[in-house]
Amino acid sequence: MNKTLLVAKWEFIEKVKSKAFVVSLFLTPLLIILFSVAPTLLTQSEESETTVIGILDFTQEYYKQLSSDLESHKLKNNTPAYLVRNLYSNELTKDSMIIRSDIMVLNKKIDGYLIIEKSNSDSLITNYRSKSVGNFKLISILESSINNIYLKEALASRNIDVSVLGLFNNKVNINSVKIKQAGEEGESEFLTTFFSSMIFILLLMMMIIYSGQMLVRSLLEEKSNRLIEILVSSCSSNELLLGKILGLSFLGLAQILLWVLIGIAAVGSALVSYNAFENLPIILFYFLLGYLFYTSLFVGIGSIVSTEQEAQQITSYLSIILVLPIIFLLSAMQNPESTIVNILTYVPFTLPSIMIMKSNLMEIPLFEHLIAIVIMFISTTIIVFLSGKIFRIGILSYGKMPSLKELKSWLKD
Amino acid sequence: MILLIEVTLCTIILKKMLEIKNLSKNYGNIKAIDNLSFKVNSGKIFGLLGPNGAGKSTTIKSIINVIKPNDGQILFDGNPINNNFLNRIGYLPEERGLYKKSKVIDVISYLASLKGLHPNEIISRANSWLAKLGVIDLRNRKIEELSKGNQQKIQFICAVIHNPDLLILDEPFSGFDPINQQEIKNFILDFLDNGKSIILSTHQMDTAEKLCSDILLLNNGKSVLQGSLQEIKQNFGGNHIRISFNGDQNILQSFSEVISYETFSNFIEVHLVDNFPPSEFLKKLVQTVSVNHFTIIEPTLEKIFIDTIKNEKSK
Repeated sequence: MNKTLLVAKWEFIEKVKSKAFVVSLFLTPLLIILFSVAPTLLTQSEESETTVIGILDFTQEYYKQLSSDLESHKLKNNTPAYLVRNLYSNELTKDSMIIRSDIMVLNKKIDGYLIIEKSNSDSLITNYRSKSVGNFKLISILESSINNIYLKEALASRNIDVSVLGLFNNKVNINSVKIKQAGEEGESEFLTTFFSSMIFILLLMMMIIYSGQMLVRSLLEEKSNRLIEILVSSCSSNELLLGKILGLSFLGLAQILLWVLIGIAAVGSALVSYNAFENLPIILFYFLLGYLFYTSLFVGIGSIVSTEQEAQQITSYLSIILVLPIIFLLSAMQNPESTIVNILTYVPFTLPSIMIMKSNLMEIPLFEHLIAIVIMFISTTIIVFLSGKIFRIGILSYGKMPSLKELKSWLKD
Repeated sequence: MILLIEVTLCTIILKKMLEIKNLSKNYGNIKAIDNLSFKVNSGKIFGLLGPNGAGKSTTIKSIINVIKPNDGQILFDGNPINNNFLNRIGYLPEERGLYKKSKVIDVISYLASLKGLHPNEIISRANSWLAKLGVIDLRNRKIEELSKGNQQKIQFICAVIHNPDLLILDEPFSGFDPINQQEIKNFILDFLDNGKSIILSTHQMDTAEKLCSDILLLNNGKSVLQGSLQEIKQNFGGNHIRISFNGDQNILQSFSEVISYETFSNFIEVHLVDNFPPSEFLKKLVQTVSVNHFTIIEPTLEKIFIDTIKNEKSK
């Protein structure tokens, strides 16, 4: 068997077997799903228990309507979501009513209560008092309900038809629609696009950073225990370099495949919308191109380090270059055809991320894909060539990291 | 007829050898190797000796294709070395280490496959070597779980499993206990019997003296002493004696025939001028002191090494 393939096979199998790899394999998508899906899921999830709230209506006009409005909200099992208690009492003063109600909240008899009083002008002053102030959902229900009652009465007292109110609720929303082909629409929602692009770009970056670190660390191990001398006395440094790139690419491929499976499972369970995977083949293609490009870069540059500290230093520099496109991402998403985005589409460092994002936002013409592929192909070839030059000397150099001047002389050698 | 075939076979086997011609390697302005030439014959152990930084490692790395020399030729069986040649050399580096997290058998298989060995053959050979070195039980253990000595054994197996024609051993005995040293020594000698060539680089002069038939002494990248050990010893000036006597040892200074002497706890080694018969010296000595012990000794390789390097320095 070809020695390049032997090296590739070894790199692949040994890394697949490592515990760190297995952990990252599942941890990375899990983290990303957690960060992107969990907040939405949590806010959307229905409360499962009936909440008892109080109303202290000093106007004596809103209680009845408000409590029936609130009690019409049902939980999933058809029990009422809210139970309303009237806290108003003719026998007590205003202050003692508030104190009594506060005590009820503190004793957990009620979750909170709403105070309604008239201001000097025609408007209402309302306060919701509870132990915490984060109950957005309840507050928004209370707000819309009380506004509705207030407006209805105000309209009625001015002899205006109450059905006018319906007009106010008919707000106009603009849908943004992506044209796929003439007459054919692709559904597009900004948030979906943003998250699905973000997920893929983050996955790409995390994968590159992670496998890059793994690569540099394994090179360091081979260097520090002189295994590299045995390897180079068994095959040429180019075979070794290509084998490592190939092995890691297979590793990347395996990782992507598994993640796609996880993704399909996520779609199946309706956690993620199908839209996020609509452009999957294109996205995966650029994913691989980017991965290959950066891996080649990591192999070359990683070969010059000879201590753990240097390895960390150099991988963090490379990671910064890698993460840089994120800065442009939001602006690129808002205007995918701006000059800066067009420039970044032709820079091999940012091309994969930008193309992944663009493919989610718009239909990319075929020639643009072709140009991108040619750019990635040429730049990856150049990087492999340069990395090979650095690698040959780098893997056998110990001590101080080479200066730029020395690196230049290596490239000429 | 059979004899004839054997003779021709022998000459073919004997032809296998490594020849280094005018090898030079510079690191910046430093000449690590300076116009070095030597031959390694098959069936012999070639000792590559020299103080630290003499250029031994650079020479070895040039041979195994790890570094590119600036000048010179490296020929094996008369042909310049190429990638196929890599499959025919075995290399045991001075600083040991293998993939710590990997299994013994996996590491051996990988390194053997890189030497072009067929997968089927790898397993049977690995098993037989592991058994020979008494570490077959460790076959499926991770390298990091092995003792240092056992790790060295695995590394030795990796260097020899593909039955190389040229075996390069850099300090092969360091880290081994005397019993294992003896064992490894025997395996090395087995290799010689099969007509292989071995380059041995070591600082253990007594080992080199016992094993090597040819030596090359390097200093500052240049050859300072080269040839068969026997010749070198003869040419070094064999006029050394070991004596012990009652009396003041300073008396030795009064003899004009004494070039130098070195005092040990129980005896004194004396270097006499060439061509002066030791027996004559004994006659002169017994006239002044009472001699307890007198032997004529060959110079040790260590002595040759130290004297030659010291001479070079004083030049």
